[in-house]
Parts: sequence; C-alpha cells; structure tokens
Amino acid sequence: MQNKLISIGKTAKILGVSIDTLRRWDLAGRLQPTRSGPRGHRFYLQSDIEQFLQDIDAIAKQWAQSPQAFEPKSEMYCQTRDVFQARLEQFQSKLGRISSLPTVSLITAIAGEIGNNSFDHNLGNWPDIPGIFFFFDIRSRKVVLADRGQGILTTLKRVRPELSGADEALKVAFTETISGRYPETRGNGLKFVRSIIITNPFTLYFQTGDAYLNLKEYDKDINVQQAEVSLKGCFASIGFEGLI
Amino acid sequence: MTIQLKKFGTTLVSRPSGKEAWLAFQPSLNEISQDEEIVVDFDGVVVLTPSWADEFLTPLRKQFNDRVKLHNKDNPSVIATLAILDK
Repeated sequence: MQNKLISIGKTAKILGVSIDTLRRWDLAGRLQPTRSGPRGHRFYLQSDIEQFLQDIDAIAKQWAQSPQAFEPKSEMYCQTRDVFQARLEQFQSKLGRISSLPTVSLITAIAGEIGNNSFDHNLGNWPDIPGIFFFFDIRSRKVVLADRGQGILTTLKRVRPELSGADEALKVAFTETISGRYPETRGNGLKFVRSIIITNPFTLYFQTGDAYLNLKEYDKDINVQQAEVSLKGCFASIGFEGLI
Repeated sequence: MTIQLKKFGTTLVSRPSGKEAWLAFQPSLNEISQDEEIVVDFDGVVVLTPSWADEFLTPLRKQFNDRVKLHNKDNPSVIATLAILDK
C-alpha cells in the first residue's frame, strides 16, 4: 500500500498543483517520479508523496529561518497581496470540493487574515524578501504561511515599548486588541484566528522570532514556548482534519 | 438602501480591498436621505475577515450608527468577524 504507484494526474490533484508544476519539480529534482510503461510516463510512489507533504512545514520554516535570503519556489511564493488573494481563492475553491461551507469559510478566513497581516505589517519595510510563503495541501488538511518580515515583537514595540521578547509580544498579539500600526486602532487579526481555532476542530502552530504556541479546539489559555531555532517574521501552520 | 456585499466579491479578506470598497461606495452613500435605513446584506459572502470588515463596516457604523442593519449574517466567518468587531 505504502509504495503504490500514483499517476501524475492524480499526484497533481493530491498535492494541489498542476501537472506542469510536477514536471518542473521533476527536472529540478524536487519531487521525482519513477518512470513506468513503454512511453516512460511519470508515476509517483505513494511514500514519496506522503514524505513530500510532511515536508511543507519544514520547507516554509527553513525559508523563514535561513540567514540567506532567497525567494521560495514560485508555486509557494506570493510576492504581492494580489497573488495571495488569487491563490487563497484557488485554495477556497479546492477545499470546497471536499468539505462543508463552514470549514471553507473559516479556514479561508484564518489563512486570509494571517497572510494579509504579513502584508499589512511589513508594507514598505520588508527586511529582505517581500511577500509571503503560502502553500496548502488539501489531502493532509494543512495550510502553511510564513514571512521574512519584521516579526510581531518589532511591530508591537512601537506601541508597547516595554515589550522585551518575542514571547511577550506573541501573547499580547493573541490576547489583546492592540495595533502595531498606531494611530490606527485596529489589531484584532490574531484574536480572530484564536477565536475560530478554539471553537472548531482545527489546530494552529504559530511562531515569531524564538517564541511559538500551539492552539487547538477548547484551549482556554495561551501557552507560549521557546523555540530551538529562531525565525525571521512569522510562521503559521493550520490543520483542519476535524471538520471535513 | 441595501448594500449587497457580494457585489464587492465573495472572499472579502484584505484591508486594501475593504478600504477600496468603502471609497468606491461613497457616491452612493452621499445620496442617502436623512433617516434612511442602511441594510448591509451578507448574502452570498463566503469569507469575511475583521481586516476587510474593519475598513468597511466600522466606518459605515461610525457614520450612520443605528441606521445600519445587518442581514443574512449566518455565514460562520461573518459571525466570527462581527463577534470580534463588536468587542
């Protein structure tokens, strides 16, 4: 079962990318098929696909952690908000084929809020690579977003100079209505994300700098922990296995 | 007057698009008579976030207060967004 051969068309559907993308990934050595049959059609080992899916988190995190700035692969990179909006709607449509409207609505809203937050807080101030990493995998019920922006501490310090670490900033962002874009009064995006996660069968891993938190349904408290490796900007991994 | 939000799109998530919607709708808002009710109809909206709503609904409510009525707000992301904005 683990090593079943999967056609390129089915693999494209599983990964949520086009067949052309898979061909490019093959040439780049990113995800390689085994050739089969007289015409040498591409087939993929199921175990390779599973492995690849698990790697999305790692790919995004590595990009956000890397001391060297580089652009993510184009399929995973939204340099501008317009590209993000288009990909988000694509995700919404794909998710709509397999899940209920509440799931589509809420997961897209969370991903949209987190992704747009990155643009809102870093517009004109991107330290190196502008834009965000955004990739979803319908099959493993996961959406991953990351940016190499200034991070929550830098943003919130403008209105809360007493904040001393990413851990405090992360907690404030998830619990208090405060905007790093003073004098604007807004700043409730991550509270919104939290309110949805804890009332639905979803999960969230969120990291900024060297602080991270895990949230799931019914969680009452915010428990911020110290990450082993610090990253630039923010990283979020949303899981939605429960509501399909 | 009824504002059909779906005419601005069905995935209403970013601040710039909320702001753009608000600005684009100004001429229509200027035509409203003194006591006219403003109905915001969420019918057809699939995704709404506080970012978008904060650029459109917040100034609308600020300007017209109780004259703003919200209809068809049963979409889960609409419910969650309104709950956050009302806090």
